Amino acid sequence: MRTLFSTVLTVLKAAGVDALMRRLIHLLSISVALAIGAGAAQAHPHVWVTAASELIFAADGSITGVRHAWIFDDMFSTYALQGIKTRKKGVYSREEMAPLAQTNMESLKEFAFFTFARVDNKKQKFADPIDYYLEYKDAALVLHFTLPFKTPIRAKQLALEIFDPSYFVDFSLQKKDPIHLVGAPATCTFAIQRPSDGTTIAQKLNEDTFLNGANANFGAMFANKISVDCP
Amino acid sequence: MTTSRQIALSCLVIAATCLVADGALHDALAQNPFGGARAAPDAQVGGIVGWLLMKQSEFYRQMSSTIRAAKADGSAVWTLLAISFAYGIFHAAGPGHGKTVISSYLVANEETARRGIALSFVSALMQSLIAVLIVGIGAWLLNVTASTMCGAERVIEIASYTLIAAFGIRLVWTKGGSFIGAARSFYGRSTPHMAPVLANAAALHPGHDHHPHDHGGPGHHHHHHHDHASAHATVLHEHGPGHVHPEPHDHHHGHEHDHVHDEHCGHSHGPEPAQLAGPGGWRRGLSAVFTVGIRPCSGAILVLVFALAQGLFWAGIAATFVMGLGTAITVATIAILAVSAKGLARRMTASREGSGALLMRGIEFGAAGLVLLFGVGLLLGYVAAERVTCF
Repeated sequence: MRTLFSTVLTVLKAAGVDALMRRLIHLLSISVALAIGAGAAQAHPHVWVTAASELIFAADGSITGVRHAWIFDDMFSTYALQGIKTRKKGVYSREEMAPLAQTNMESLKEFAFFTFARVDNKKQKFADPIDYYLEYKDAALVLHFTLPFKTPIRAKQLALEIFDPSYFVDFSLQKKDPIHLVGAPATCTFAIQRPSDGTTIAQKLNEDTFLNGANANFGAMFANKISVDCP
Repeated sequence: MTTSRQIALSCLVIAATCLVADGALHDALAQNPFGGARAAPDAQVGGIVGWLLMKQSEFYRQMSSTIRAAKADGSAVWTLLAISFAYGIFHAAGPGHGKTVISSYLVANEETARRGIALSFVSALMQSLIAVLIVGIGAWLLNVTASTMCGAERVIEIASYTLIAAFGIRLVWTKGGSFIGAARSFYGRSTPHMAPVLANAAALHPGHDHHPHDHGGPGHHHHHHHDHASAHATVLHEHGPGHVHPEPHDHHHGHEHDHVHDEHCGHSHGPEPAQLAGPGGWRRGLSAVFTVGIRPCSGAILVLVFALAQGLFWAGIAATFVMGLGTAITVATIAILAVSAKGLARRMTASREGSGALLMRGIEFGAAGLVLLFGVGLLLGYVAAERVTCF
């Protein structure tokens, strides 16, 4: 588009159009360039997820995967359950929802399960999810699944982010104890940074964890950032 | 004169910026096309956009609780309608390809603000209707699962994007022809009259020199026409043959339209609304609306399914149409902005014969290109649109 406008501009310049016209076209092309360059807002959320996640440690102290429990909002829960046949009205068993959980796993793969892990600013790969199922609790759908790392993480520091880059899904960490380190060595600590308030809730570490080193580049404002340190 | 022109210029620039920013802001590049990591969208939250997102989320989240409340207390339906209306207004101000396509279409063609409003309302109404039909048939009548409905939405989505791209190709074809025509007639006309400066320029670019010779015969004709008729007439008249190439319909409407123009523009500065209200014009406008209107809003589908599950499907339907009304108001406002910006540009350039026409054709061509770009971008996934709720 920029090319298009500059072509128009060139044509007009060559044609000897007066200064006013040139200015107008110039301003137009600038505004187009700015608007595109800014690449601003995309979608807005239609789905809300309240997340609680666990980092699973092996006996040797390496991190083997992330276990999520995502609670969907009222509206999406109802939508997702539309057309699911149940023996008893309003009661959904794990088996009855198994096909839906399967669909969830297949669809979420396209979005990398909205879970992004980095070590030394290098993306860590996840294998296909395991132990996935849906639960219907307090009129809300809860999706449980575990993402194993392709290779267990042995690094001293791991940065984990949970968010949707296109912001169709709004993720927020559960208010109380959203993160657990399961089977972690006693020296391991973690810190959480939530998107909404923008403040760092340093549980054991201070916020320098984010400001120094590899984690400093993490920019997504609505990402939920979790930093795990095992010195 | 200078002051009023400056005011007009500022207004135009502001309006154009709004229009362009609107389209580009919301249909911004979704992914890094170079295949790298997705850029963290940190610059997006905050400012007006952040506020819009926040307001929208607020209204949207209130909908489910209000529908639940309406089960016990019927008067809550009024609250639901109010929220839906507000959501519609804010929603349309947010991301969406609809207004980009409609506004660009209006700018690319000689459309009136009144028609812009009408088209905005028709497209919003159509979107609401499609949403109600999908949920009505899918969930209420057939009781299919969400993923089945979602499959239908995806098919519709691809159809919509394909149609936008096709519509864009058609616009680019016709408007590109007019633009080239305007450029040619401008060069052809200006060379002999021009001051030494331009004569020198022509000498430097031998390519330009050819024009007067090549088009010697018809060139003369243009001159003649030009002096009496407005810039439009010249361009369209000259470019008549160019319109033969597109598909039959296109050619048909185009021709009808152009002839009308030719006859009237001799004395008036622009087409009157009445001239545009011909059957061909409306059909063309409605095809623009159809390309965007067939794709329902994901939010409306969610609200409808939720309302159905609560046994208040009718309230969901009412909310969907009210939401559409809100959307239409915003889209119509943007459409009016687009049309008035172009009108201002036309008035400003009316005194400049050849260059004015060239500028107008350039703007139209640019708007046509925008429609094509969005269609292709949406189809290839480079332009972010509202995602279909399939998880």
